[in-house]
This record gives sequence, structure tokens and C-alpha cells, in this order.
Amino acid sequence: MSRSVRGRAALVLLAATLAVATAGCATTVHPWDRDLLAQKRMQLVPSPMLHAVDQHVYFSKEGSTGGDDVGGGGCGCN
Amino acid sequence: MSLTRVHDAWAFRFVAMASPCELLVDTDDRAEADALGRIAQAEASRVEAAYSRYLPGNVVHRINHAGGAPVAVDDETALLIDYAAACHQMSGGRFDITSGALRRAWKFDGSSRVPTAAAIEAALAHVGWHRARWADHVLTLPAGMEIDFGGIGKEYAVDRAAGLIAGRTQHAFLVNFGGDLFAAGARVGDRPWAVGVDDPTRPGEASVYRIEIKRGGLATSGDARRFVLHEGKRLGHILDPRTGWPVEDAPSSVTVLAPTCMEAGTLSTLAYLEGPGARAFLEREGVTFWVL
Amino acid sequence: MRLQLTRPEPPSPIRARLRAAACLLLASSLPSAAHAEAGGTSSLDTSLLIYGERQRADVLEPTVRFTRLFASGQAFSAQVGYDVITGASPTGAVPSGAIQTTTSASGVTSSVAAGEVPTTTFHDKRLALDMDWRQPLGTVLTSTVGGHFSREKDYQSVGGSAKLALDVMHRQVTITAGAGINRDDVFPVGGTPQGLTDGTGPTDPARQAKNVTDGMLGITRVVSRRWLVSLSGTHTAESGYLTEPYKVVSQIDTTSGESVGQLTESRPGARTRNDVLGTSVYHLGEDVLHLSYRYYWDDWQLNSHTFDVKLRHDFNERTYWQPHVRYYTQTPAWFYTTGLVSVAPLPDFASADYRLGPLRTATLGATVGFHMGSAPGEWTVRGEYMRQSLKSPSQGEGGGEGGDDARKGASTSATAPTSAFNLQVPPLDIVSVVVGYSIQF
Repeated sequence: MSRSVRGRAALVLLAATLAVATAGCATTVHPWDRDLLAQKRMQLVPSPMLHAVDQHVYFSKEGSTGGDDVGGGGCGCN
Repeated sequence: MSLTRVHDAWAFRFVAMASPCELLVDTDDRAEADALGRIAQAEASRVEAAYSRYLPGNVVHRINHAGGAPVAVDDETALLIDYAAACHQMSGGRFDITSGALRRAWKFDGSSRVPTAAAIEAALAHVGWHRARWADHVLTLPAGMEIDFGGIGKEYAVDRAAGLIAGRTQHAFLVNFGGDLFAAGARVGDRPWAVGVDDPTRPGEASVYRIEIKRGGLATSGDARRFVLHEGKRLGHILDPRTGWPVEDAPSSVTVLAPTCMEAGTLSTLAYLEGPGARAFLEREGVTFWVL
Repeated sequence: MRLQLTRPEPPSPIRARLRAAACLLLASSLPSAAHAEAGGTSSLDTSLLIYGERQRADVLEPTVRFTRLFASGQAFSAQVGYDVITGASPTGAVPSGAIQTTTSASGVTSSVAAGEVPTTTFHDKRLALDMDWRQPLGTVLTSTVGGHFSREKDYQSVGGSAKLALDVMHRQVTITAGAGINRDDVFPVGGTPQGLTDGTGPTDPARQAKNVTDGMLGITRVVSRRWLVSLSGTHTAESGYLTEPYKVVSQIDTTSGESVGQLTESRPGARTRNDVLGTSVYHLGEDVLHLSYRYYWDDWQLNSHTFDVKLRHDFNERTYWQPHVRYYTQTPAWFYTTGLVSVAPLPDFASADYRLGPLRTATLGATVGFHMGSAPGEWTVRGEYMRQSLKSPSQGEGGGEGGDDARKGASTSATAPTSAFNLQVPPLDIVSVVVGYSIQF
């Protein structure tokens, strides 16, 4: 896949998910409906520390960076 | 008491704490609804008997007639007093279970009779939790002071009843004691319970809001039923224990949603006591509320 | 009517204390739904990573993280990690029919029997410190600032970051923007060798600098009572010394197939990275499903896809297990080569580091969380098995991949190395175990 096709595909993916993410007020989630969302296991990153350990392992063994946060440190491992 | 079918749920109704009470259970099982209703009724009666200031012989009566002597209390009462003390502290004195003495000055009968400054001054001398000594299960109230759990009693009974029933059923239910309620879970098919908030100008007759609730406590503070008309203004029956006066420009009614009925009740009372600042207070607290 | 967010912001002053007071009062009789998270405001998370690659490196990494929430909505967290790595790491030289001796910048030599991938042994320790502070600004804005410091024998990293999160649409949507900056220093043992030389020449004793700036934009949306989705993108610009000072590239005589020498590797002095990450958290009623997909691309022509699936199943309030599957595939950097043709002219850049090659990693693992009797705190034990392999040439190898496009960031005169042959190496098996303990107080 050429670079421009790749770039375009990524933009389409971005736009599609943005559409889902900001889709109109079709479902309003009421405060009493946040019971499930309040559970720790429903968080995007339930354990920041374990997540950091994972990111470090994959960063050392692969060519890509983590991507969901900024400012983490580098190491002499890649 | 009565047991009737309401919107395909069973409603067990009775009277307690001078209010209409009901337990709604989302089940087809009549026997189960009956058994659970009796548990709710028993708990409501028990809390009323133990903490109503109108009934002779209970711990509240003993405290209010001790004439300045220390009174030892049981564990449950101690926890209630702890709660009241914590609320007094975190509300800066607005929440005070010793404020019942102001009743001697105020009569909320819909008339325009307003007590004199002297009468209020005299009543205030016997108000103030800071005057009480509370430690190690022993409460010492100066003579002339009294405590009144009226502000938290119903909500406490709701939460206790809900706790007892939750341990005995998998079905969703709703406990409602005189407008203070707790909903424990969405109904079958993930449907919410529908609760109406009374129109303050026509109490008991019409609803102005329809709230849909699946889980949590709901309580309302307002002047709908007991008030004094003064200079064209409605003065609610909730008095500010720091001034001895009812709150000026208080909202007609404040309804708050919180994890438990007790918290909802305390927050709605505190919001009401903020007067015109009720809405801002509740927004700062970040709770769901309806202010009329 | 104001809608509330029950997680993750801490409750306001009165509401928090009221919660605690009500819980004390109703302790035994509260329905369990209302118990929620009325716990303390501080927490300590500890973990120990035990990691092993078959016939390669072993890592032992204890980490401790302390978090404290304040009633005003502020939060502080500090994390310390200590890494001990020992074992063998591939040099980048090729396995061959003859015994080969490797010299390395760290002065360690190793001999390799025929056919094995040449490695060099090392022993390294790394200390990492991270701190961050979260500060709410008004009711819908939250800012977070963080700092990082890490140090090992031949590498140091210092950095900082700042993030801003905005809650909109009645707190159903959160928009996050962040930026970070890092200044790394590389000082290999024995000095920094010159790139694409035989390694016997003079080395640069000075520290090599590497500067990294990154920016991130993300949006999180509560779609329904049981569904949360998130989309984020990051853009990173790196410049400075990006080469692996200890790694080499073999020079192959194509007639005999034998390695006739090796050169130090050399990578470009700049790299621009981008990625887009989509995550979905869905509550299935009993279980919670975490799905994520990340697409990454950079101007070294390395692209990757990462798929991650986790399913958390709670047996009861205190015990759960969570199986996990991850699949990662990347295309090689344009200057990746398995070995240089000995008689060909030297390219501008070359690296035989398999981590820049046509790599594929498959991970299978599971986490178990439990409490020990009535003792406080939660234990987690996680076991993961990873298998890394290099894709065969038909699946796209390095050297000429991006030929039809202009290479972003690289000058048009940069020449790519031509691979001398296709590398067949056995896949690498990795096992890692993480034991964790968390407590709130």
C-alpha cells in the first residue's frame, strides 16, 4: 500500500470513529445509568502501572511506540 | 396496609412515621411481595419507635428529658448521632439536630403569625450542637435542649429497609417512605422506575417532573405542606439554626439524587438552607438535582 | 438538570464526607450496589515483572506506584521502577556456516557456533522515576503535568508532559490534548562508534543527544450505559542520535554465502512517528470486553497494526480472570537489511536490528485477580506468552518497500541497503509473569 493510500485510510478510520464518538445525542446517558461505567474495570486504562510495564516491554521488543499518552521516557532498549 | 398490583409490580402500602409508605417490588410473586412488604413495614415501625420524639420511653425521650445529665446510648443511636455530628460539621452548622427547640417560637400553620425577635432569641439559647458533649457513646445535653432525628429519620428508615430487603430478593424494588425513597435496581427489561416530583403549589395532587430512576436514593426538601405566609412570602418550615429564622427566598422544592436516601436527604436539606444559592450549591457538589 | 460523572473524578468536599458518613452509618445494611468506592484516598500499587526470552535476555523489574487523591479534585502520583536485564541480545550479525567472533562496543566478545544467531551478553540496570500532578481547573477542565527521569549505564532520559482534558456534552464526551518533551542522552560504553565502519576506528567520547517532542489529541465518548469508546492520535518528532551503538550489520560475500565482515549500524538522525488508536470498552452484563486497534506509521517506512482483545470475567466481587490476546505486525524500515552485499557500495543507512524488520508478535496471556482471605489489598498474577517471528520475504521484506513513494523526511539521494539474502531465523519465545499487589488506605 502506498504512503498516500495508507494516509488516506488512516484518515477514513479516524473520521469514522470520530463519527461514532460524537454521533448526535441519540442516547443520553443519565447519571443513574453510570453505575456500570463507575466500575474500575470499565476504565480505558484500569491500571496505569501495569499499562506502563506493558508499554515498556513492547517498546523494547517492537518498532512502534505506545501512542496513547505523551511524555513517557526513553530507554537504551530500542 | 394493602397489597395491590400497580403497573405490573406489586405495591405494599402502609402508614408509618405519619406518612404514606410503600414498597414496590418488580415481581409476579404475590407472596414474596407480601413478605418483603412486611419487612419494610417492620423496619419503618422499629425506626419510628426508637427515634420519634413523640413516643415516650425511647432513647430520644430519655435524652430530651435528662435535664443536663449524661445519657449512655446503644450502638445504632451512636452511629446516628455520629452521622448528625458529621453533617453539622461539614455544613458549617446549618444541619443541627438540636434545632428542634426553635419549634417553641415558630408555629407553621399557614397563618401569618411570626414570632418576636425576643422569642427567637430565647429559643436560640437552647439550640446548637456545639453546646452538646458527645463522646464514647455518652451524650450530654444542657438542660432545655433537645435532639430531633426528624430531619434524617425517614431517610434512615428507607436505607435500612432497602438493605434488609436487598438481602432477601433478587428482584428490583423501590422503598418509598413519605416521598423519601431508594430504588434498588432497574426493573425487568432494564426499565427505570417512574417517580413524580410533587408540584409544590398543589401538593399531593399533581406532578411537575417525572424522574426515571434505576438505582439510588431520592429525597425532597421543600415548603409544600408546612409554611408561614409573611409579607407575601412563603417561609418554609426548615429553620436555619444559626439565625432562628426560616430561609429567605428558598426554593419551593429541592429534589436530590444520591447513592443513598440519607445522603440525598442531607444534601437536599443543605441545599434548601442555602436559599437562593441552592442551585449553585448543588452544582458545586456535582449531584443530580431538580430545583423548583 | 446536571448530570454527574461518578468516575474517575473524586467527589467534592461535602459529598465525599457525606458518602463516608453514610457508609459508616449504614455499613451492614447498605445494599451492595451503594457501597461502590467509598475507600481511602491513597493507594499503593506494586508489581514485579519476571520476563524471560528463550536463550536470550531475562528481565527482573520491580515497580512501585503511589497515588493520592485530594478532596479538591487534585491528585498526585509517583512511580519508581528498577529494571535488571541480563542475558543475550542479537547483534544484528547473521548466523553462518562458520564460527564467527563478534566484537562489541562494550568490549565483550562472544563466539558463536555455526547457525546460531550471534548475540552479545550484557548486564544492565535501569532506574526510572515518574511523577504527575492532576489539577482541576473549574468544573469541566482538568490539567495534568508530569515529569520523567530514567538512567541506566549508557542512557539517560529526562522529560516532561502536560495534558488538558475537557468534558463536554454533559460529561459524555471528553476531549484530551497533550504535549511532551524529552531530552535523552546516549553514552555507550567505550564511546560512540562511527556508523557503517568496522568498529575499530576512534569512538566519540561525548554524549549523544536525542530530542523527542510529542503531541496527542484524543476523544472519549460514553456511548451508552455499557459502552465507552475512545479515539486518539499522537505525533512524535525525534531528532539526534537514533542509532543502536552496539548493533552491527554483516557483510556477505554472495558467492560463498559467508560473512566476510561486519559494520556498525547507522540510522537516520530524524524520525517522525504517527499513530491512531481506537479503543472500545463494552460491558456485556457479566463480563467486560476491551478491544483496541492501533495503526502506526513513521517516516522510516515502518507501519504496524496492533490488535488487542481482553475479556474480563468476575467470579465474584473479589476474584476475576482476564484472558488476553494481542497480535502485532509491522513492515520493515526502509534501511532494514539482513546483511549487506560485501562488494556493493555502502548505503547511507543500514540496520539489521530485527526490531526494525518485518516483525510479527503474537501474545496469549491471562490475568487473575484475587484477595487473600480477609487481608486488605488486591493481588494480580499475569502470565503472558509471546512469540516473535520475522515474516518470510513474500510477506514483504525490507529494502525496497516504499519505492513508489517519496520517503518522507529522507533525502532523495539516500540509498537503501540491498539485502544480501533472506533471513530464516527461528521465532523467539518469550514468557513474562507479573505479580502485583494493590492496596488502598
